[in-house]
Amino acid sequence: MCGIVGYLDRTGGKARTLGCTVLGMLNALGCRGPDSAGVALYGDNPDSQLVARVALGEHGDFNASAAKILRTAAKFAPVADSSITDCYLRFHIGTTAAIQPFIDAVESVEPGTEVVSLGHRLEIVKQVGSPENLEATYHVSEFEGRHGIGHTRLSTESRIDLSHSQPFWGHGYPDLAIAHNGHITNYHQLRRRYEQHGTRFYTENDSEIIAIYLARQLTAGNSLEQAFDSMQRDLDGSFSCVAATESQIGFVKDQFALKPLLYAETGGFVAIATEEIAIRSALPGNYDVREAQAKESRTWRK
Amino acid sequence: MAEVSCAERTIREINSEIKSLIGRGQREITVTNPGGRHNLCVAILEPSHITIQGSAGYYCGALADGSTIEVTGSAGWGFAESMLHGTAIAHGSAGNGAGAAIRGGAVIVHGDAAARAGVSMKGGLVLIGGNCGYMAGFMGQKGTLIVCGDAGDAFADSMYATECYVGGKIASLGTDAVIEDLSAQDIKFLETTLEWHFPSESLRTKPAAGNFKKVVAGRKLWNFDKREWNVWQEAL
Repeated sequence: MCGIVGYLDRTGGKARTLGCTVLGMLNALGCRGPDSAGVALYGDNPDSQLVARVALGEHGDFNASAAKILRTAAKFAPVADSSITDCYLRFHIGTTAAIQPFIDAVESVEPGTEVVSLGHRLEIVKQVGSPENLEATYHVSEFEGRHGIGHTRLSTESRIDLSHSQPFWGHGYPDLAIAHNGHITNYHQLRRRYEQHGTRFYTENDSEIIAIYLARQLTAGNSLEQAFDSMQRDLDGSFSCVAATESQIGFVKDQFALKPLLYAETGGFVAIATEEIAIRSALPGNYDVREAQAKESRTWRK
Repeated sequence: MAEVSCAERTIREINSEIKSLIGRGQREITVTNPGGRHNLCVAILEPSHITIQGSAGYYCGALADGSTIEVTGSAGWGFAESMLHGTAIAHGSAGNGAGAAIRGGAVIVHGDAAARAGVSMKGGLVLIGGNCGYMAGFMGQKGTLIVCGDAGDAFADSMYATECYVGGKIASLGTDAVIEDLSAQDIKFLETTLEWHFPSESLRTKPAAGNFKKVVAGRKLWNFDKREWNVWQEAL
């Protein structure tokens, strides 16, 4: 099962906030994924700083860990606007920070620390539980922006915790996020190959390989469209997947169309979801929703 | 004409009300605010005409026997799946497995159908006004599958005896699917069927009956020797 959604606002977000729409879509898919819920939202960060969201582990003294992380981060670039919500530390950091060394340094402060997202606009919040819980803890509906994706998870093969929840950040590539419904059957094979090249895996969730795969493709200079195309060749199994970058949102479906994924496009928005009910319940109006075909992929620029 | 609203009610309540209305002799029912909900109008076993105003989710009209179910929007996965008899019409598009495993009746999709339309049909008609996706007609045992637009990959794979007609291009034929010439009888059948199921203005955009391609089983998979490795390889 699992439910995934994607949304791109084309009107300037006047009617409702981005968070409200994505959460509304996700709520309708709560029954498809009771284990965890998460969103990756792209805000209107006005300055040229990066936003980091760091999970501070499962328990312990979050304030002390946060202080240590901020001291570590400040060695890379100026740090500002830090805040702690539940187990997340959020702060701004200057773009001069070298990304991989910065992540490595932050994550070695305490065991269990993970940079959940990093980007100019991207902010990921996810946790075990329903979309309603996500709203209660993080007030997702107040988030303003133009596009985002979301996920509700029914775990099948790996642990249920924050780290194994989705969306996944494309670790190391700012602003890339993915949410996936399906199974990647050549996961272990690919993972071994990537690990031999020094790629770090944070989870045992097969969906993580998609984030890593796309991050590698985009780092190599390929477009999101090209990366979706080559996914058909390189990844086996069933995947209905949404992905987003700082300026784009898109989806890709595997060659056997094993998992559902529908989309609607109007002058006002683009909406992608596992079930039509998610689009209809969050977005009123008269529009067509169609199911993506096997091998179909599409992208939209904001 | 009775009206049933789906808003703020469970699917069981909605379907129970529809069935009890039919039981009391009400044969014309309009269902409002469907909102893409699943399992709408499942197992309607009496002659009736149900119009769903909007889009339906999974298994709309499944297991029906003798009713006419019309969806003004699109339908999700398993539209009219395993129908015994009757008519199911989606004015928009349909998700995966439209008309899968039907034994009779007609499943009409005015727009496109996603993957696996009409798989394992055991009778009846699946008629797609637009294009169909991957592996339509797979393992079809009887009945007719008509696609007015283009067909996706692996079309009519491993069939028994469903007869398929495609008005547009076929991306690729499935295992043991072969193209056969249209007979005069086939053309007559296509003409009458298209005319019957499509309103005249929509019919104008469909290919002429004589331009359809007919796809049937090559019968190589009906029975073959286990030592025929080529057949095995192809079939798997």
